This record gives sequence, C-alpha cells and structure tokens, in this order.
Amino acid sequence: MEEQEYWESDPESLVFDRDRHIYYLLMMYQLLPSPYQGQEINRLTLAYFVISGLDILRALDRIDKEAVINWVLSLQAHPRNDSTLEKGQFYGFHGSRSSQFQSNNNGAAILNGSHLASTYCALAILKTVGYDLSLIDSELLLKSMKDLQQPDGCFMPIHTGGETDLRFVFCAAAICSMMGNWSGMDREKAKEYIVNCQSYDGGFGLIPGSESHGVCFLQIFVTLMDGNSFSVAGGATYCAVASLKLMGFIEEDLLSKKASCHIINVPLLLDWSLQKQAQDGGFQGRANNQLIRVMPFGLEEFYGS
Amino acid sequence: RESLTAGLASRLGPGVFLGGFCGWFWNNGHNMWGCVHFTCRKSLATQVDMNRGVEEERERIPMSQRPEWADIRPVPQDDGPNPVVPITPMSSAKPWITSEPYTWRMNDPHAHFNSLKKSFFSIQGITLFLAVNVKTIGSSVDAYKAEVWQFRRLILDALNVDLHEELHFVDQITKDNSKNYQIWHHRRWVAEKLGTQIASKELEFTREIFSQDAKNYHAWSHRQWVLQALGGWENELAYCDELLEDDIFNNSAWNQRYFVVTRSPLLGGLEVMRDSEVAYAIKAILAKPENESPWRYLRGLYKNNVNSLVNDPRVASVCLDVLLDKRDCVHALNMVLDLLSHHHQPSNELKDAVDAVSPDPKPSDSNFAERVCSILQLVDPIRASYWRWRKTSMPAQD
Repeated sequence: MEEQEYWESDPESLVFDRDRHIYYLLMMYQLLPSPYQGQEINRLTLAYFVISGLDILRALDRIDKEAVINWVLSLQAHPRNDSTLEKGQFYGFHGSRSSQFQSNNNGAAILNGSHLASTYCALAILKTVGYDLSLIDSELLLKSMKDLQQPDGCFMPIHTGGETDLRFVFCAAAICSMMGNWSGMDREKAKEYIVNCQSYDGGFGLIPGSESHGVCFLQIFVTLMDGNSFSVAGGATYCAVASLKLMGFIEEDLLSKKASCHIINVPLLLDWSLQKQAQDGGFQGRANNQLIRVMPFGLEEFYGS
Repeated sequence: RESLTAGLASRLGPGVFLGGFCGWFWNNGHNMWGCVHFTCRKSLATQVDMNRGVEEERERIPMSQRPEWADIRPVPQDDGPNPVVPITPMSSAKPWITSEPYTWRMNDPHAHFNSLKKSFFSIQGITLFLAVNVKTIGSSVDAYKAEVWQFRRLILDALNVDLHEELHFVDQITKDNSKNYQIWHHRRWVAEKLGTQIASKELEFTREIFSQDAKNYHAWSHRQWVLQALGGWENELAYCDELLEDDIFNNSAWNQRYFVVTRSPLLGGLEVMRDSEVAYAIKAILAKPENESPWRYLRGLYKNNVNSLVNDPRVASVCLDVLLDKRDCVHALNMVLDLLSHHHQPSNELKDAVDAVSPDPKPSDSNFAERVCSILQLVDPIRASYWRWRKTSMPAQD
C-alpha cells in the first residue's frame, strides 16, 4: 500500500523532522507535564511509548538503558517468600509505585496490584533495551497469569477483578510470545473468544456483541491509559488479529488462501478495515465516526507488505 | 448511644471521629458494630452531599490542612533512584524546570491513601476507609485507580451498605468520567448485586449517557450486559429505531439493532427477523446510500448464508436503484462486486447502470467484474490498490 497519488499537499512540506521527534520524546522521558497526573498509575505504559518511540527513531543510545532496566525491574511483583505464594495472585509488574507496597513490618499482607497491561509494557521495554528476558522468573509470572484467564477464554487484568476484554487477551498473547512460553494461557480458549468477537461487519469488538472497532495499535494504549480525552475502545481489531497471529492461528500469506480455510472471515475484515480510511488519509476507529489523529502504528503489521 | 455518637460525628467531622472511635471500638468489642455502621453511613451520606457541590471548594484545601485528616500521616511515594517518565506536580508554574516532582504528594489524597492502605487489614483501617474512599474518589485524578474502587467494594461489602445509595453516588461520577473503565466496572458490580430490579434504571441511565454521546462504547457495553444479565429487552428494538431516526449514521445503534435481532429472547432470532430487517436496511440505504452502516448490516443479516444474500432479488435491486440515482455509489458497487464474486448473474439493466456511473468514457475491461473494479479505482481513489487487488481475485465472469 505505497501509492501516494491521493496526497495533494506539496511534498516539500511533508518532510519528517526526526530530530524534533527525538527531542520531544527525550523531554517526555525526563519529565511528563502535569496533566498526566491522572495517568500516574500507568507510568510503565507511558514509558513504553517513549522508549519504543526512541527505538523506532533509532535513538535509544540517548537514554541510560541500565537505569531503565533497574526501574522496570523494581516494579515487578514478588511474593514475600515461597510460603506466602498465594494462589490466584498475579505476579507480574505494577504500572507504577502507587500500586506497589514494600513489605510491612507489622505483618500486614502485601497488596499486589500488578497488572497484565503493565506486565506487557514492562517486558516490551526490557526487550527493546536489550535485556535478556530469560533472566526473569517466567514460571511464576506465566503460571500466575494463567489464573487470570476466564472460562470463556478472555483475560482479567488484575487478580482482584476488573473488566475482561480483548485488550487483555492481546497482552497475554504478547507476554507469552516475548517469553517464548505458552504455558501462561490456553490458546484454544483464547482463540474461541477472539472468533466470537468478530462482528457481522467483519471488524472486531472488544467483547462479543460489541461494535467493531479499532485498527490502530496506538488505540489500545490510549485505552490502557484510560484517557478521558480519547474515544474508547482500544484497537479491538488490532488486538484480535495480532493475538491470533502471535498464537499461530494465522499465517503469513492468509490472503492467498481461500476464505473458508480461516477461523475468521478475512475478506470481510479486510474490506471493513480498509473502509476506515477517509479520503484525506486519516483513519476512523468505527464506521461513521470521527477521524483519529494518531499514527496508524499497527497497520503495516496488520496488512503485511 | 446512637444519637451521642452521631452528634459527635457531625461536630468533629467524620474522619476524626471515626479515627478516634475505632480505637475505642477495638477495645470494646462488637456490640457497638451497629453504631459504627450508622456513623459510617452518616459520613457516607455527608460525603455524597459534599461531593455534589460543596466538596469542590474543599478540594482546594490540601488534605494535610484539613482537621479531620489530622490523625493520618501522609506517606510520600518513593520512586526509587532513577525513575523514568516522572510526572510534574500540578501546582508547579514551570513544569519543565522543577526537580522535585513528588513534593506535592505530602498534601494530596494519594499519600494519605497510601498510609491507610498499609493498615487496611485491621478493623480500624476498614472503617476509616469508607470516608477516605469517598473523598478520594470525588477527585477525578483518583478515579482511574482500580485499587481505589476495589477497596471501596470491599468496604461496601463489609459494611453491607445500601447499594441503591451507592448507585446514586456512582451516577454523577460516571457522567463526569463517562469513558473510564473502572467506573463502569464498578457500576456493573453494583448492578449485579442489586439484580433484575435495577434493569430498567440501568437502561434509563445509559439512555441519559447516549443523549450526550450516542456512541459511548462503555455505555453500550454496559447496556448489552444489562440486557443479557438482568433483562429488559421489551423496548430495545424500538429504542434502536429512535436512535436511528435521530441519526441514521449512528453505527453503534446499528450494532445494537443486530444485537437485539440476534439475541433477544422475545423476537425469535435472526431467521425470523431477517425479512423485515432486510426491508429496514434497504429503506436506510435508499435514504443515504453513502452510509456504510446499513450496507454492512444488510450483509450481516445473511451471515453464514451468503447464497441467500446473492439470491435475494432485493439486494441487487437496491444496488440498481442507487446506481440509477447516480448518487454516492461506492458501497453499491462494492455490493455488486460481492454478488459477482458469488456467481450472481447480473441483469443487463444492472450492467448498463454500472457503466453509466463510470468516469471513464471508454472502459477497457470486457469482463464486467473487472469493469466494476476499474470504476471503483476511479470513484474511490483512496482504496485504488485494494480495488486493483480485488480485480485479480474475482472468479471468471461474463
């Protein structure tokens, strides 16, 4: 999809100012402006945006990778000792210090607020900066993650309960994929849930029955951050397709095979997603919705070459 | 006893009173549990009133300066030696220059909350939390914290609070933060506990949200959950009618229509409803052929039954009508392509109507399906590559 014939602006004005983008990301890396206070609980996610942005711009040498690794690892949830390993608790990563507590001297229980989305961001950051993920205790992380999977195949984000939807299926699949170990989830059940999320129009909703939404990768994180200023539903379609691909249920050349071979309706999905691009090149998250001004980060992966 | 404690509570402020009372309670056993309960409820009611308006003014006073918080020690957050993406305090005038991002925490609910959380598992902690919780949730910064809501639920359970009051409290916060996952999740928890009696109220509440934002995804998810878990399907199709009359482009309403038609226990299912729904979709298409939603809906009515779609004369007919009208024809041409790819034999009338909308006076493709693709490349240039690709994947025609 490389045709530029529909771009009417002067090509000279479309130069990508790489240095400015790097500078912006480094500013964010040092200090976020105060309106982000409401997202304090999701600091790991914000850090992921910054670090992956710098990675894409090939500017990771500008940050202290050791410091990043230490900070991320400090947010990992650990049981106090082997005997207090509590069944049902998820031992992943916290989104920030505010959901993490140090051992309490008077013996009160440690509150474990580690979160599936934060765990995904943590591992993605570590991988991006070159940390060897095999140094992480994957057994505990993955085993406790499996406890978050629901009977219908979906995932809960924290063990104390929360909304369950496709975003967390994606997080789980990405975590297993990065750790190279699928013991953290029942893939068949997850696949069934995803298939049930495909809407009559070809796109995917966040839960079965929901309106189809979201081809953009960034939309997932917008909603993981629970930002009020953005519209909704979290790149559901991206989550669905990416998860199926990571789990091995979708192959590289899926458009060359007959539709009946696939577990999802691919031609309809393709048609639906392509209709989400407006005449000016921008994208809408849902049919007849306003355009979203974000970089369609996941589209290349979504469409392949 | 009750009036004495209630009197003390209102004079000293709920936080201080509860703080002192809990120590006394711990020493004097469970026979005063009812009194504590009453006090907590009273403080809850007070806080709810305060949250409605008066609280906004009080929020400007730092927590550390409020007398009822005097007995609670704030615990600053320790970010570690080299935190990544620290966040500027709100009070700072020059956000880029400050070097102490967390000094504000001494004066803020989070720090107090941290302190209380550490002692959560003691009885003193539990009763203190209700007042704290209400106060912290009043500020929208805290509304994003799943754990704040989680603690609130534990307290609500422990104190057996009337959940109708809770729902009322959540109403206002939901309206102010209508795209916050935690709040909707909390609402679902409360509604589930209240059961089927609350179904119509929840449907009414989401209706209010839609009057401000007809496509609020969270509200639609909640509404779908209410229908499936608590009932209330009777007027749902009529409600979809209403929304679509208001805005025929509202894709959320089309999606809901599909949901009702396929899942309502009162309507008989898709097979029974298909005929009338096809008529409904066609009417919407003819009104606004550029509207993607009814075209998708029409296809959806024949889900897993594509041959019936191809053989239903109304489908080819609506394509023809739109093309003859020479109005926005992209979706119509796309539908013609779908029909052709499933071996539909186009009438000459349809072929002529298609050719009539071609911007190219001398189309070169002899194959009708390829001609349709070529026209789409011209009338829908943003997807030119896609229509080119569709050309290669069409079965042999003509």
